[in-house]
Amino acid sequence: MPQNWKPEIKKDEDYELVQAINAGRADRFEELINRYEQKIYNFSLRMCNDVQDAEDMVQETFLNVFKYLGGFRYETKLKNWIYRIAASACIKRRRKSKFAPEKELSLDEFMPGEGEGAPREIPDWANVPLDRLLDEELSSIVKAGIDSLPDKYRMILMLRDIEGFSTAEAAQILDLTESNVKVRLHRARLYLRDRLKDYFDHDRIESPS
Amino acid sequence: MTESNHHHEKCRELFERLSEYLDRELDEETCSEIEAHIDRCEPCKVCMKTLKRTVDVCRNLKQEQVPPDFSRHLRELIGQLAEGGKRG
Repeated sequence: MPQNWKPEIKKDEDYELVQAINAGRADRFEELINRYEQKIYNFSLRMCNDVQDAEDMVQETFLNVFKYLGGFRYETKLKNWIYRIAASACIKRRRKSKFAPEKELSLDEFMPGEGEGAPREIPDWANVPLDRLLDEELSSIVKAGIDSLPDKYRMILMLRDIEGFSTAEAAQILDLTESNVKVRLHRARLYLRDRLKDYFDHDRIESPS
Repeated sequence: MTESNHHHEKCRELFERLSEYLDRELDEETCSEIEAHIDRCEPCKVCMKTLKRTVDVCRNLKQEQVPPDFSRHLRELIGQLAEGGKRG
């Protein structure tokens, strides 16, 4: 490594705010809370599936961000760093509370049926405009589906499909390889797709039209 | 190939890569192969469309509001630390 090598600084929309806070304007930390509180709360809520635990996780996350922001060197975006802190808080919390090994999702269990069992018609729920489909009831079904995913799949699905991180970013946040992120994400999506399919096949009173 | 046996090798290969396809993480040649297969294989088309819809639903889920009491408490706590200068 060259002697004058310095990590690349990733200036993002938070750069100036972080510079100000680190230059002594700790009072402006509230602006940072305003930017990320709702996102981290929703992430925590899905990960903990409990309002009190989610609040504890959000508090722990922001306390750590406050404590360590001075050492943040912009080697990644601030948002990614905050999620890394939140994800660590979550993993730590779950390790404390649970000892059962996590269920593995296998690809085979999601493979469509053979021969006549394989679906050949696109169901209505995959065809109608999204805004006609997404109501309170469906949102609850999806959230319950996410909540029932094993932790390691749920965290990936949250980061990729709810929070909108790229594969590379999710891998960096969780210290995983990109291929590991892809495998887990695909299985999590297939699991959730089956929950939606069950709902529209059996539980929903009227199909969307 | 509208396979009567959906566990055809090609279908399985595609099934494994559907998310990467939806996320545009595959090269152009692989994408074209997948599209050509989907055009001929109804079960794979259904699979792809339902998976895509699942992802779309997730991306459009409404966020829940932070409980106001907690929000206030968090700001007070950080405010006290900021005044006390307790930074790492």
